[in-house]
Amino acid sequence: MNLERLKQVTYVDVTLWLMRAAVILLVIAGTIGSVIKDRYTTEQWVSMVMFGLTIGGIYALIALGYTMVYGILRLINFAHGDIFMTGAFTAYFVAAPLAKSGFLDEYLIVGMVLISLVAMTVCSCIALIVERICYRPFRSVRSLAPLICAIGASFFLQHAFRGMYGSSVRAYPDVRWFDVVVTILGFNFPRIQFVVVIAALASMYALYLIVHKTKMGTAMRAVSEDRDAAALMGIDVNKVIIFTFVLGGSTAGIGGVLYAFVFKQVYFFMGFFPGIKAFSAAVLGGIGNVPGAMLGGFFLGVVESLGPALFLDGLGIVAPYQLRDLIAFTMLVMVLIFRPQGILGERLARQRA
Amino acid sequence: MKPSFFLKSLAAVSIVAVGALASSAAWAVKVGPVEDPIRVVKIAKGAPIVIATYHVISGADTALGLDAQRGAVVAADDLGNKLVGHPIKFMHEDDGCNAEGGQTAATKIAANQQVVVAIGGACSSATRPAAPILWKAGIPDVATAASSPVLTAPDRGPSYDGLLRIVYNDLWAGREVANWAYKVRGYKRAATIHDGSPYAEKLVRVFQENFKKLGGEIVSDEAIAPNDTDMRPVLTKIATSKPDFIYAPTFVGATSYLIRQKKEIPGLEKVALIGSDASMGAQLMEAAGKDLLGFEISTTAMEPEAQGPGYTAMREKYKKMFGEYPIQGFHGNGYDAMMLAANAIKKVAITEKDGTTYIPIKALRDAMFATKNMQGVTGKITCDQYGDCGVYNFAIYQYTNPDPKTLEPGKNPKRIYPDKF
Repeated sequence: MNLERLKQVTYVDVTLWLMRAAVILLVIAGTIGSVIKDRYTTEQWVSMVMFGLTIGGIYALIALGYTMVYGILRLINFAHGDIFMTGAFTAYFVAAPLAKSGFLDEYLIVGMVLISLVAMTVCSCIALIVERICYRPFRSVRSLAPLICAIGASFFLQHAFRGMYGSSVRAYPDVRWFDVVVTILGFNFPRIQFVVVIAALASMYALYLIVHKTKMGTAMRAVSEDRDAAALMGIDVNKVIIFTFVLGGSTAGIGGVLYAFVFKQVYFFMGFFPGIKAFSAAVLGGIGNVPGAMLGGFFLGVVESLGPALFLDGLGIVAPYQLRDLIAFTMLVMVLIFRPQGILGERLARQRA
Repeated sequence: MKPSFFLKSLAAVSIVAVGALASSAAWAVKVGPVEDPIRVVKIAKGAPIVIATYHVISGADTALGLDAQRGAVVAADDLGNKLVGHPIKFMHEDDGCNAEGGQTAATKIAANQQVVVAIGGACSSATRPAAPILWKAGIPDVATAASSPVLTAPDRGPSYDGLLRIVYNDLWAGREVANWAYKVRGYKRAATIHDGSPYAEKLVRVFQENFKKLGGEIVSDEAIAPNDTDMRPVLTKIATSKPDFIYAPTFVGATSYLIRQKKEIPGLEKVALIGSDASMGAQLMEAAGKDLLGFEISTTAMEPEAQGPGYTAMREKYKKMFGEYPIQGFHGNGYDAMMLAANAIKKVAITEKDGTTYIPIKALRDAMFATKNMQGVTGKITCDQYGDCGVYNFAIYQYTNPDPKTLEPGKNPKRIYPDKF
């Protein structure tokens, strides 16, 4: 019996197993090398994990938009990174005067809620317009047209903002409260890092509740399972799709504001790379799966932040931070090869067959 | 017999044809009365003489390219917007400060055979692929701010035969920064960051070599990707090596993130971060906000007293034409690049009685390379055989106010070294 199974093993299987073994060995060797080198203190390791969680939280918030739209429409909304940019950029025009007048330092919560609301509204509106103009006409067309349209929308948004506000970089205001360093368990962190992680987790929890505990959430899940059957059951599919884009836009808006307060800069091209990374995070976690997008985002952020110090430094690679994206995308390729459905992804095809 | 005769004749004809084609490559081109081994640009009476420019004129590094481009435009204005009896017409292209942009801009310029000469680029990453494309099309090129040593290295190859530059070579810049850091500031432990661009990487290598020669130590040699936004992990790594200062000759985006995030890293709060002129300008001030205060850059001196005699007048004209004082440090280079090209064109152009002008390109290229003691606004310009024509007055500047409106090279950023020229 065993011999029979062995006979079925192909060269491809062997190569893939060797690849897995090689990657695992490299990671282990690199980690051991880094531990032996003992270059970083515990505080520095913890700081790096925290940097990763901060950027990971932002990736996760953007990834939610990708994953929800994919879940409902089976469409990759490539303009989503730029929708994130529009929120961060527009909120700048609220944040800058609020900070200048001292309002933001005085009434931080009210100010942040206001800034986030502006970003969320703008992102939702733009997401809706993109959906109406670029995706709806192609909804029943089985071709690459919606994808190409998404890429076009992405360019359009970038260059529209460039045309309107110029190509220069704008500095987000500094908020005193965010920059204060707090000590937790003997480790020091600026408050903004906690704010981002907590805000990201809270938004995701709220989203989880919406999807799983509300009527509209149930309708979303129904449309995601089978759009035609859902329509036959009396669900207004258009309404569900609009709701999904509003939700995705809102999380991107929150992500945009948090990103801008961490990195303190906005410019018209800022959405492209976080968008690509968040898309990778969504695929990593299992596209179409909400908790998967969160997990993928945090995971990608931490690996990006820790990877060069943990694996590459130990392997003796010079200037490892240049290869940060390589780690992120190698991981993506590995996931696509060995677990195409992503970390938490379901085997959709099999389930629906 | 017949087929064999036919084949023989065919072979003979082919050999003759191939021979003719091969020898035609070495034939000179003759247009009107003028002959040149490369090509001749014919400009009809009243038609414009086309000068192309390619610089970064969009994105975060706009100031770098736009400043040089404006310099060339001011020079044309000083020439009365006329050259050898023809109105000057500019063809401005954007190279985006990257290789793909340089290639696209150069291809577009090369497609226009009326272009006599190209001015640009401001970035080595764009100039490196652009110059060979231009020279293949018979267009000499004067770079305005592309300072990477590879562009004028003795082994640069014949595809760069048409390239000169009116900017210092980073071999000088890297050496001067190392000297200043070690001898003037007394730094012994340096950390370096580059972004993988030919400019930054080569400059860092030259700096490291010279710093080590002086007795200094490179404690951390790091690289980032040009689009990175989260610099905290790499800065954390640098902090573990306890440097006296960090040398990061990166562009505006990366530099502003480094400036802003350095203060968050324990152990780096008081470590100096030194950049280069690649990031100088209002955009860095806008992007870095108040953390910019105290940031230092190494560059060639920008004050009028460190320049050639015509500089002040040129600066005023710049203000008059564009409504603001120079936005970066390379307007003088753009101006001199245009003047160098114009002087050479005047030397080689032949205008017939009917008003038609002929410009032989090989002769033009040679005349440009033969420039000696030309009084430019950046100083006295002499080109060497590899096209290095830049003047270099090393200086260190420090920002004293983060408000972009206060930008005025010399005052903000203020020169802190040397005291006098």
